[in-house]
Amino acid sequence: MPIVEIKNVQKHFGANEVLDDISFNVEKGDVVCLIGPSGSGKSTMLRCINLLETIDKGEIIVLGEDINKISDINAYRQKVGMVFQQFNLFNNMNVIDNCILAQVKVLKRDKEEARKIAINNLTKVGMGDFINAYPATLSGGQKQRVAIARALCVDPEILLFDEPTSALDPEMVGEVLNVIKDLADEDMTMIVVTHEMGFARDVADKVVFMDSGIVLEEGRPEEIFNNPKNERTRQFLARVL
Amino acid sequence: MSLAKCLEILSKYYLSFLLGIRTTLIVALSGTLIGLCIGLLVGGVRAIKLDKTASGFNKTLKKIIDLILKVYIEVFRGTPMMVQAVFIYYLVYTNIVRWDKMVAAIFIISINTGAYMAEIVRSGIQAVDVGQNEAARSLGMSSMQTMMNVILPQAIKNAFPAIGNELIVNIKDSSVLMIISITELMFQSNSIAGTTYRFTETYFVTAMIYLCLTTFSSLILNAIEKKMNNTETSLPQSDTNFHSINIAKKGD
Repeated sequence: MPIVEIKNVQKHFGANEVLDDISFNVEKGDVVCLIGPSGSGKSTMLRCINLLETIDKGEIIVLGEDINKISDINAYRQKVGMVFQQFNLFNNMNVIDNCILAQVKVLKRDKEEARKIAINNLTKVGMGDFINAYPATLSGGQKQRVAIARALCVDPEILLFDEPTSALDPEMVGEVLNVIKDLADEDMTMIVVTHEMGFARDVADKVVFMDSGIVLEEGRPEEIFNNPKNERTRQFLARVL
Repeated sequence: MSLAKCLEILSKYYLSFLLGIRTTLIVALSGTLIGLCIGLLVGGVRAIKLDKTASGFNKTLKKIIDLILKVYIEVFRGTPMMVQAVFIYYLVYTNIVRWDKMVAAIFIISINTGAYMAEIVRSGIQAVDVGQNEAARSLGMSSMQTMMNVILPQAIKNAFPAIGNELIVNIKDSSVLMIISITELMFQSNSIAGTTYRFTETYFVTAMIYLCLTTFSSLILNAIEKKMNNTETSLPQSDTNFHSINIAKKGD
């Protein structure tokens, strides 16, 4: 059974139809990359899965539950981690406290245990030497790696990445993508909105191509990148590859 | 006006001035602190944005509370504190309880400052990037936990200069509370001037004392602000944490 099922989802902001009948599935342990031109609704789709936005029609079933009917949103969000384009590290705390806070407040872990888990995750993303640094002193790539560690600390079952490398300079993109690749090797279920086609081709189990609120094409990356069936997909890929 | 006379008044009546300074500082400091607490509560509640999934009942309740708070802010910002002081003092004194003047003074200055603080806190909260809220909520934290641990600390830091400004304002504006005859600095000055008939000299001394109090407060506030900014931009100091990293690695 798929871990995430998106069924005929529609969403509009005012008169602007952002999502116009979106459906796709995500299997446990898979990496699904959402690609497509800007404004096609990829980020909105991701934000709906985390309930940062609500949908107008359709269903989003995650871990067997219709998420727009659940009562405890906070418990649900803890299971679905999110990594943002702008990192969004808590500016008033250092790196380790960024990773400890939700563990203590949401999972009610004691501080020592939370600290050990935080250090493990920070070491995993190569930020173990920066635990006392404040976000303002870190580079973009470092911030994003801390943000990934912070999301991992509350033991999510699914991770959502909203253009995790779009705010980074080219040199830093690699360090963040490598961390995500490592997570893919550990069979973490991930949905990644990205413009990094090389990454999508190498790491994704499934690529979903979206344009103006609909899924034009989905499939294995080699199908999408080598033999796109849809004319619009072909155009888009010709321009970005 | 002669400086010699000023010094004479100061040396002769310094105990009266000191008593006035003491009362002024007590009223201004406690008024600012209690006002800040009121402001955090009122401004915090006003800044809450309900989830898109919130129920209709909660949305209506929030609207009613918002309206009441808005009226409170408008009334206390829109009328002079001197009028508030006499009105509230006599209202309570004649109808409810014969309250202590000092308690009345602190109550009035607190509730007045609270109205200003509420707007200061609200703008401080709105200046915090929405991403901070989204990140905290995406980790499963409740809106209350997010407000207390992530948003408010940053909002207070944003608003600190304006909050400090309220202390300075209160040191000066507590002078209007002499209307309910608490023995603050202005009240004491009036008594001294009335005794000596040296109005110019006495009020010159008073002005100088107020200036010293506000300047000294500014210096302290600036030092605190500098310290707050330093912690978040300075590079971390290496300490014993490498020890704990090693422990964590061994535990793998």
